Amino acid sequence: MKRAMVMDLDRCTGCQSCIVACKFENNSGLGNYRCDIVDVGPYGTHPDIQMYWLPFQCQQCENAPCIEVCPTGASYRDPDNGVVLIGDQECIGCMTCLAACPFSDNAGAARPSARWFNEERNVVEKCTLCNHLTAKSDGVENPADSLDEAHAVPPCVHNCPTKCRHFGDLDDAASEASQMLAQAKAEGRPTYTLASDEAQATFVYILSESTAPWNGMGEWRSLVAKG
Amino acid sequence: MKDTLSRRTFVQAMAVGAAAVAAAGALSGCMEPKKADVGKPSTEADAQASAPSDGKVPGTTATHVDLTGADVYNTMCHGCIAACPVRAYVKDGVVVKLEGHPEAPLSAGSLCLKGMNQLHTLYSPRRVLYPMRRTGAKGADNAAFERISWEEAIDECAERIADIMEQHGTYSFFSSAGGGGSYVGAMLPPLLSGMFMAPTGFEPGAAQCWMPRNATAAFMYGGADQSTADSSVLETFKGLSKADKEAGIKNDMNCLVIWGTQPSASQTSQAGRGLAEVRALGCKTIVVDPNFSPDAAHATIHLPVRPGSDAALILAWYRMIFEEELYDKEFTKYFTNLPCLINPDTKLPWLATEVFDDYEPVTPEDTPVYVCVNEMTGEVEPLPFGDPAELSAALDPQVFATATVNGKESKSAGQIYKDEAEPWTLQRAEEFCWVPAERIREAVELYTAPAKEGKCAGITHGVATDQMEIASQAPLGLLGLDMIMGYVNKPGAALTQSTMGGPMGPQLDGTNQWGKCAADGTQPRPTKGYLAQLQYGYTVGATEAANQERVAQSDPSALAVYGKLWTDRLGLSNHRGLSAWGHSHIPAVREAIETGEPYRPRIWVELSGNKLAMLASSGAWYKAAMENVDYVVGQQPIFTSFHIELADIFFPTEEWLEHPHSRTGQLNYTFANPGIVHLGESVNPMHPWMLLADAVSAKLNERLDSVVFTGTGQTISELGLTFPLFKLGDRGNSDTTCWKMELTGVGAQLGLGEDATIDDYMAKLRNNSDAYYVSTPSEDYWTYGQHLVKATDGLPLGFATESRKCEVYCTTMLKLGRTGWPYCYPTAFEEPVDSRIGTFGGDYSPICRVPLQTEAPEVKGADGYTLPFDKDFPLAITSGRVPYFHHGTMRHAPYARELFPVPFIRINPETAAKYGISDGDWVEVSSRRTQGSDYDVSKRGTERSYAGEKTQTTKVSDPIRTIAYVSEVVAPNVVWMERFWNPECFDKSQKTKTGGWQECSVNVLTNGIDAQFNEVFGSYNYRAFAVNIKKSERPDRVWVTPKEFEPFMPTSENQVHDEIGVLMGNKDLVTDYYQFATADAPAQG
Ligand code: SF4
Ligand code: SF4
Ligand code: SF4
Repeated sequence: MKRAMVMDLDRCTGCQSCIVACKFENNSGLGNYRCDIVDVGPYGTHPDIQMYWLPFQCQQCENAPCIEVCPTGASYRDPDNGVVLIGDQECIGCMTCLAACPFSDNAGAARPSARWFNEERNVVEKCTLCNHLTAKSDGVENPADSLDEAHAVPPCVHNCPTKCRHFGDLDDAASEASQMLAQAKAEGRPTYTLASDEAQATFVYILSESTAPWNGMGEWRSLVAKG
Repeated sequence: MKDTLSRRTFVQAMAVGAAAVAAAGALSGCMEPKKADVGKPSTEADAQASAPSDGKVPGTTATHVDLTGADVYNTMCHGCIAACPVRAYVKDGVVVKLEGHPEAPLSAGSLCLKGMNQLHTLYSPRRVLYPMRRTGAKGADNAAFERISWEEAIDECAERIADIMEQHGTYSFFSSAGGGGSYVGAMLPPLLSGMFMAPTGFEPGAAQCWMPRNATAAFMYGGADQSTADSSVLETFKGLSKADKEAGIKNDMNCLVIWGTQPSASQTSQAGRGLAEVRALGCKTIVVDPNFSPDAAHATIHLPVRPGSDAALILAWYRMIFEEELYDKEFTKYFTNLPCLINPDTKLPWLATEVFDDYEPVTPEDTPVYVCVNEMTGEVEPLPFGDPAELSAALDPQVFATATVNGKESKSAGQIYKDEAEPWTLQRAEEFCWVPAERIREAVELYTAPAKEGKCAGITHGVATDQMEIASQAPLGLLGLDMIMGYVNKPGAALTQSTMGGPMGPQLDGTNQWGKCAADGTQPRPTKGYLAQLQYGYTVGATEAANQERVAQSDPSALAVYGKLWTDRLGLSNHRGLSAWGHSHIPAVREAIETGEPYRPRIWVELSGNKLAMLASSGAWYKAAMENVDYVVGQQPIFTSFHIELADIFFPTEEWLEHPHSRTGQLNYTFANPGIVHLGESVNPMHPWMLLADAVSAKLNERLDSVVFTGTGQTISELGLTFPLFKLGDRGNSDTTCWKMELTGVGAQLGLGEDATIDDYMAKLRNNSDAYYVSTPSEDYWTYGQHLVKATDGLPLGFATESRKCEVYCTTMLKLGRTGWPYCYPTAFEEPVDSRIGTFGGDYSPICRVPLQTEAPEVKGADGYTLPFDKDFPLAITSGRVPYFHHGTMRHAPYARELFPVPFIRINPETAAKYGISDGDWVEVSSRRTQGSDYDVSKRGTERSYAGEKTQTTKVSDPIRTIAYVSEVVAPNVVWMERFWNPECFDKSQKTKTGGWQECSVNVLTNGIDAQFNEVFGSYNYRAFAVNIKKSERPDRVWVTPKEFEPFMPTSENQVHDEIGVLMGNKDLVTDYYQFATADAPAQG
């Protein structure tokens, strides 16, 4: 099982609805983010510019270093579906994992960061692929019932205005994620993963040259206000 | 095999700009670039790593929303005007989750963040749930209110209104609205004021939004406009819905020009979704926008036009299309009026009967015959309307011609247009509009290419130009382009008539038959009614006799008073296009409040959100209202700046999850749209005025001998009239309460009888998709070629204009400026508009022209088209939507504000460097409104502009401040920011309070005072004026970092009303915070 998301960057418009969907679903409270949007670019000089928006969250690494380094065993993989998770009852907020994760801020406090340190709760949090809804899902949504556990998708996927986000098991050819990936390949659109050395991120990003050349997370910039 | 970008190539990609890599860590201090390169845990971490847990799954405390036992309801979002279908999860009477409804044909299950954030606005600690009366002085700092009952509120309000009207005459009443889809729409002010025999009413969502495009489309072809946001252009989205797919209907959009609109930011789930889909299907898009909007970023071609210079760019398109003969010749010759020869004195087309002595028209009286040069003979000949296949045997109308008619040299309308476009070569457009000439050429080629294969492209035209001096010129030009290309009533065109049978509906009087247009010859010649109350107004396309007959149905004295209201309306003597929705000219209203000339509006009934944040030159409005308005009534779900500063009395209205909106549609679907919950004593926003229309009328009717109709100085009894002048139900909706309206609309659709209760209604909708919507079969919805269908008179139907053709040369504009026709009928303006207002030799221009831009940056080749460059304000500022908010809404939604705490000002790096500003710096932004000015206005009153006698020379406000977003997304010398207000400025935690409209709001700077207003519609300048910037400091009171917004989170600590000092001790008012279950009916009268 390889649960992940496939993101069609030719569609994403950076609206940040996914962030808000996530916050409501997980009661994140103010200032905590399990997913984010990174403005990559614009590159070039006006008016010859290109950019894309990168929906960003835990990349569900195949060799997740966050699990390896966790001193309490709080970071783990769901034994049934392989999703990388954090047990907050074991988490002691030591932040060791933050340094290990190639996509996290060391303090888990500056956007964008795959793992986020929740100050109030003194635990590290991150995207769970909404495992509480989707643990048994095949990633093909049931339009009549979003809570159907055999088919549920995370709310950031369900509500994404542009249908950029596709969830599912990449090892299951019938999942929405695999279908999207297959379609992109058939259309000849390039696909990418974020560079992560041995960690091996599994999320896949689709991006056509005509939208913009791939530049990973670019300058890692999101529209963040300073006080 | 997965294409992965290895670490090596990632590093190489980063190295493309070494500076970029270097900047990575420094930029926000958020990420250390090493992280991406280090694929391995540090040794220290390694050492600490313990063995994986022994098969035991770590424990997790659930933080996610618990939906056990929740009921699911179907409703619709009203976060913007799009209305996306929504599923609401309700648990113990509380809405705990919202999501997009997958049955939606267009939004298809998605829901943008504005929609989701309704959870926070519905239960916001800022909600005010009871009627309130101000107990202290006006102003935010020491604002004090007390709770009163609805009975008291209505009675007191009616009494005060009646008293002031008795003392000062009927014209002292005025009303305003706003808020687009969320609250009360544009149509209520003219109705409300009209009932009380007062002429004044306005909404920025008229002259400043949609009305210019909407009215111009009606004038030019009697059809739907080019707005996507307002559900006019829907062809773009054909073939996307499940029903269309099942019917085998495919999308035909080859190329869409998106001019001055950014659907992905303004209607993210609906039009934004649709655009994402059609782009994926291969539709090419051309985006014309000064800002690199999300739609620009995904466009095939982006034309970053200099703010306010769109008319020149449009004329450059005309010039190239005429020059290179790219237009649709047959359509232009037979279905537009461009071949008509124009009488140089009247500027109207010569009629055949004027030119040929004994000419007998070959068409019915309602279809005039004009004259043109026949290319076959080279002679001036009659140009009748008819089937091109029949006419073309003997007549080939010449589009570009000059001929002597009745002894006068007369150009064809096409020739007039061509001459107007002549100066605007691509090169000149590049200099003036700041778009590379080659890129303009590519865009025109892309737009015209489908025509070569008999296919279509189309233009969708957004709000941007409604907010500039070119509010009439731009739609004239852009509608005309689609017309000369023949992109009308065809698959893949923007100008199709299918929507007329859809959500926007046919005219209430049934005059527009488009939606029902059948191919069986049973349709009469199309007409378009420009009708208001009491049958006032003209039906174009019908004969004069038919119009007289209709008007004769109304009581003549009531009609005379109503007509007087029309012509006495503030600002209409200059800007008669405001008649389209019966609105006053907003700057003229403010001036009248200030000066009392020609009469003083003194009772302000405000039906929407935050007028202090949304009206241009808000400082001037604040002063006028503070000093000269006697009584202010406000209503909203929350206190905005307007209420805390100005309102004497406040009515609590519902959020969208609380009130039903009748019949809202998405494509060919109409959805039930019920309220789901109810809080406190809040009511549907229409409700107080249903009650007050009666209550005020009753009080006035006791004083008919003393209440004076300001228009004539006679008392109401002398006029033999009573209040209201007309009932709300005189046309269409005759119902009294909103609930009843809902019941007759959606309720009937659900098969409920008149005696049904809210409980019955909710039971029907609960988790019941069957009762959720009705739809027209796709095959009946997408219809084309309507103008070619044979009418009852044997001619093709044509269009609902006088000529029955597409009037690319818009004769209605000329007549409107002379008498107010077709709105003003049977009364009329006696004088034409001030000849300095009309830029077409004293008339409103019937074609796109480049008017004078009052405030512009330094532009090469701009002589005569801009006022002299003012070096004090060297930057062009413009604006546009961001996805977080709709107009003035949701600034109290904490999950929106933490993401977009201030209206970031977009600045090009080159410009930022010049001013010593870095990304993330606070910036002060100033305009002439924030500085006294002796700026040279001597050029005012040129052939291209007249801005009135008055010039603002004194400062009306302090500059504003916001945070810089430095990026190539805008051109050098162009800056961009969205409207804003800061409800935190009157949070109880503030030591001293302000109304929150002065700190960050661009409308402090916008020009609603002495700009050149659009000649036709009086539109003022929100989007193309001049500012200066400098580095600054964070202003007091404004919140920026996420946790600062904690007081906006709905928690039991943040009780309702907390921010209004006087109610603080009265906690029992707010204990019902979460107690209202679905069984509570919206309050009834
Ligand atoms: S909701 Fe979808 S379109 Fe919007 S930012 Fe997230 S991924 Fe992109
Ligand atoms: S992205 Fe970070 S948190 Fe997620 S699996 Fe990889 S290392 Fe762990
Ligand atoms: S686009 Fe967003 S705000 Fe507008 S109706 Fe749809 S969900 Fe609501």
